[in-house]
Amino acid sequence: MWLHVRLSEVCLFLQAMFILACCFSDMESGPIATSGSVQPNGDRFKIEGRAIVPGVKTQDWISSARVTVEGEEYIGFLRTDGSFVVNDVPSGSYVVEVISPGYKFEAVRVDITSKGKMRARLVNFIKTSEVIRQPYPLQLRSSGPHTYFMKRETWGWTDFLMNPMVMMMVLPLLIIVLLPKVVNTNDPEMRKEMEQSMNMLNPNPELPDVSEFMTKLFSGSKSSSSKAIGGSKASGRPAVKRRNYCNWSCHGNYNTIFFKRAFSFVFCK
Amino acid sequence: MSKPTSLFVIFFSLFIMSEAVFEDQVGKFDWRQQYVGKTLFAHFDSHSQSSNKLFLATDKNIFASFNSRTGDLLWRHVDKVGPEGTIDILVLHGQDALMVVGGGRLLRSWDTNMGGLNWEAVLDTGSFQAACFVAIQDTVKHVAVLKKAAISLHYLTNGHQKWVENLPDSDTVQYQAVYSGGEVEVYVLGVVPNSHLTIIAYSLEDGEIIKSVEAPWLSSVESSCVVIGQGVLMCVDPATLALYTLPIQAEEAPQFNQILLQSLDLEVSLGFQPVLVSSQPHPARSPISEFFLQLGPDHHVLLQLNADGYTIAALRDFQPAFLVSFATTGEKTVAVVMTPKNETACDINLFSADSGRRLLDTTVIFPLDLNGGKPFKLYVHAFLKKDDSVDYRVLVQTQDHALTFIQQPGRVVWTREEALADVVTMEMVDLPLTGTQAELEGEFGKKADGLFPMVLKRLSSQVILLQAWLAHLWKLFYEARKPHGQVKNEVTIETLSRDEFNLQKMMVMVTASGKCWSRQSLFIFVWSQLFGIDSKSGSILWKHYLENVQPNAVFKLIVQRTTAHFPHPPQCTLLIKDKDTGLASLHVFNPIFGRKSHIAPPALPRPILQSLLLPVIDQDYAKVLLLVDDQYKVTAFPSTKNVLQQLQEMASSIFFYLIRSDQGNLSGFRLRKDLSTERIWEVVLPTEVQKIVAVNGKRPNEHVHSQGRVMGDRSVLYKYLNPNLLAVVTESTDAHPERAFVGVFLVDGVTGRIIHEAVQRKARGPVHFVHSENWVVYEYWNTKSRRNEFSVLELFEGTELYNSTVFSSLDRPHLPQVLQQTYIFPSPITTMEATLTEKGITSRHLLVGLPSGAILSLPKMFLDPRRPEVVTEHSREENLIPYAPEMPIRTEWFINYNQTVARVKGIYTAPSGLESTCLVVAYGLDIYQTRVYPSKQFDVLKDDYDYVLISSVLFALFFATMISKRLAQVKLLNRAWR
Repeated sequence: MWLHVRLSEVCLFLQAMFILACCFSDMESGPIATSGSVQPNGDRFKIEGRAIVPGVKTQDWISSARVTVEGEEYIGFLRTDGSFVVNDVPSGSYVVEVISPGYKFEAVRVDITSKGKMRARLVNFIKTSEVIRQPYPLQLRSSGPHTYFMKRETWGWTDFLMNPMVMMMVLPLLIIVLLPKVVNTNDPEMRKEMEQSMNMLNPNPELPDVSEFMTKLFSGSKSSSSKAIGGSKASGRPAVKRRNYCNWSCHGNYNTIFFKRAFSFVFCK
Repeated sequence: MSKPTSLFVIFFSLFIMSEAVFEDQVGKFDWRQQYVGKTLFAHFDSHSQSSNKLFLATDKNIFASFNSRTGDLLWRHVDKVGPEGTIDILVLHGQDALMVVGGGRLLRSWDTNMGGLNWEAVLDTGSFQAACFVAIQDTVKHVAVLKKAAISLHYLTNGHQKWVENLPDSDTVQYQAVYSGGEVEVYVLGVVPNSHLTIIAYSLEDGEIIKSVEAPWLSSVESSCVVIGQGVLMCVDPATLALYTLPIQAEEAPQFNQILLQSLDLEVSLGFQPVLVSSQPHPARSPISEFFLQLGPDHHVLLQLNADGYTIAALRDFQPAFLVSFATTGEKTVAVVMTPKNETACDINLFSADSGRRLLDTTVIFPLDLNGGKPFKLYVHAFLKKDDSVDYRVLVQTQDHALTFIQQPGRVVWTREEALADVVTMEMVDLPLTGTQAELEGEFGKKADGLFPMVLKRLSSQVILLQAWLAHLWKLFYEARKPHGQVKNEVTIETLSRDEFNLQKMMVMVTASGKCWSRQSLFIFVWSQLFGIDSKSGSILWKHYLENVQPNAVFKLIVQRTTAHFPHPPQCTLLIKDKDTGLASLHVFNPIFGRKSHIAPPALPRPILQSLLLPVIDQDYAKVLLLVDDQYKVTAFPSTKNVLQQLQEMASSIFFYLIRSDQGNLSGFRLRKDLSTERIWEVVLPTEVQKIVAVNGKRPNEHVHSQGRVMGDRSVLYKYLNPNLLAVVTESTDAHPERAFVGVFLVDGVTGRIIHEAVQRKARGPVHFVHSENWVVYEYWNTKSRRNEFSVLELFEGTELYNSTVFSSLDRPHLPQVLQQTYIFPSPITTMEATLTEKGITSRHLLVGLPSGAILSLPKMFLDPRRPEVVTEHSREENLIPYAPEMPIRTEWFINYNQTVARVKGIYTAPSGLESTCLVVAYGLDIYQTRVYPSKQFDVLKDDYDYVLISSVLFALFFATMISKRLAQVKLLNRAWR
């Protein structure tokens, strides 16, 4: 009994909703499509529709596909032309889905009133009463094959060179190497001008410059220990160095490995 | 500000990548086996001579097509579980397969070539009795469906009903058979038991003629009558020991003609109900006039109805003969007879049906498996050879639901263990070490016997290792030269050994008890089967047939001793319990070889209420199993003196719980020193309001690595890790959508204290839940919004730990803080399980079985009640994902990609030797085995690791240093010269 009561409530509510919806859209079709397929045996109805996978012959996919209504409560199978009928469904509101391991289909919510009037709408689990009409009998068009697989990260020279980090490293290097050749450094005026511009670029003398860092890194511990480092500099150095190291090691493909490693440990916590 | 955001973005994108299969990994470490269940109907495609298709309809409501050459599944249609999907009959005509489904609910026609539906017709209500094809002038155009009170005729082309007729006196007459012999009439046979037989003839154009024949001896047409020859009804009566013939089509009032079996020199075995077997090769023609009469469990006679329609001639006597069948190809019909040869094999022979002469060179040997069932049914695929002689292949169905396809002279083409379609429980057991591995292990176990022998032993074991390594290298080299594909590793029990990372294990699977009614011995066999399957290849290594297992039995598989205790063999115990009486029995076996153990299990005369595996081990390293009977007495297995002594010492700290879901009662007990018990607590959930659906503790082999979570402000939130915590799920008895609810109670199993209760209003089951670490995740149906929802409960002690060294249920004054969050899940689910790894360092994922057959690996991170609605600096530090009401389902997260597992019933997870890797087995109709890496493979090099790149970079750097060193030297020299 309660089913009927609830259903009529639902129907009233849906109709109300629909009237609201219709106020905004023009009335080109009737509010509720009647299927006209009320069956003789009791209050059981059938859900009809058709599933299409564009560009694929039906025989290549229908044998592994089926239509499920509200999980596995009612099951239908696809005909050789892609159409389907799910028989013996009592009135109610159901999520109808075509399940195929190869192709993806959008689920549709089908509402059947106690009188057998049908309508289809988009599934919206958050706003459950929202009505966005879909055609009935259902027209389910596959949006393509499922993507089950990730693409392997492949390693190519172009990827490596086009990496912004690498570009940022290579371009200054080129400038460092090429500029002295282009500009005559022996000219005292030019040298003075360059020193001035360098000072402007590097207002904080406390920070180490890139070239110093590079030499330090490559020359190893021997040279760094021999080099005298001011107390004030040393305090700022380690942090900067770490960040630089990070920058340096983060280019190319290494960054992903580095981060993945780091985060796999983060996950564990 | 920007750094954490970018970090978050990077992290998130990586995270999304974290669980997925790469395309080249397909089939590398995963496999799937597809099953269909017990065969009810089997037909070979007779449409064309060269076709090798086999169609099966099974008790699992499945219609499937196989390639009969290989046994591979071509396609399969899985219908609804339960009586609404049962297949009543399957008949084949040409390319169409006709099926009546759901006790006469639907009539379906399938295109067997494409595997799609031709049409589906809804039948009128009424229970299904019989169906047959109806042909006019050699073409089959209709199908007749007989119901309890009506008969209907449908067109084969579109399923439309031609006519339907109500059967007269259907409340007294039991209509049981329908027959058509290619004429314009359809005959319906009904019987009033022990009174008379009613024959109704319907002409295709809707006329009806009723005939009634006295037959006081007849009780059932279905079981004792067949139609043979030109429409002659042949019945057998065990009481008078006679055969009766009756021409159905006779115009005038017909009479049964009695032929005494004695007159044919035939004798029925004592207490045996004789059975008739006939054959109608083509629906447009009448059946053949030869038929089999079974007189005893292994006694068959081939008889022939003479042309006069009254007399019978005995063609050949088959004794002993287990099974008989007819097969037709072209115009020839042959009789197939299976006779026992010796203990381990049966012979199958062909006989000409019209003469009873044995056809030469037609013997096929069927190997009998002593660990399996007896042959149960024969399905024969006969075909004509080029020289017009009959050749055949035969499909043998055995009582254990296995199908074996054999061809001459006895080559087993394929075997399908269909019992595996119904796995109830399983365990994974480590494989034993090899001899060399065991020897190496033994070196450390033994006591030292001097310095010099120790050194010698060490050296010798190193030599053994070196030898093994060289042999391995040689094998690699040898196999690399062979073309790919020829390399085939045969897996046998003898060669099984543990691999480096313990990734290969033995899967022990228990199948549901099956029932098989045997015509031969008038017995109902009830059995269950144990299978040992290699987890790497999926091959069945052993099987064990357990007899006399009640159909409603419940099983519990317990690993008492693992393989770690060499030389003691591993030991598994299967607890089989009758659900109604509670009486239980134990089957103790070695899980690696499947052999029954010589250890005698204890006799259990009383119903068993609870079983628990204690961490206590006896002197043979077997864990102790405690069984509690209905008088609350405890039986220990093994129960040696040593064990009993240990139990007495530990008794005060052994607690267990009992559930009485019918009384809504949950009670806790403690063991006393004399192995009796005392009740210490009791929780009653009134059964008028709610009923207990499930109770679940934590898995005993679960490890939790980190005690707490580091929060954004560097403080630690400690987890509430109570090993005795039970999650009790209840459902309301009121099913009204407004008043229904689902309750979750967290109860301490030792003290009975209710730690937390959560009630989800307007919700109903089925509830699926996982209880692990400090959280419970459960899924239910929201009746108001008509959607599935996930809810997570997480328990924390707070920022301080009460007693960090040991957890005691008796000494925890503070209740934990409970956090809860709920999410929408856009699909129903069938089962749920959490991943499990060796040390619990790896993050957890939930494995969710969906009705589509996919298994979704859902990161636990998405089910974290601390997911913030507003993103803050702290939450970003903690890598909490902002709250979103709807949970995503990504196809990339499907661990079984397109290898769907139909009707997933359970997911089993087991840790491997690698911390990053969790072994997963999903079972249901199919079995799927794979590995998952919830935090990616952080402890081994990935399989796409680029050795070439790394080595080339290394070499390049090496040469660059060499060159630059040389250049620097030259430069220095030049400078020195300057």
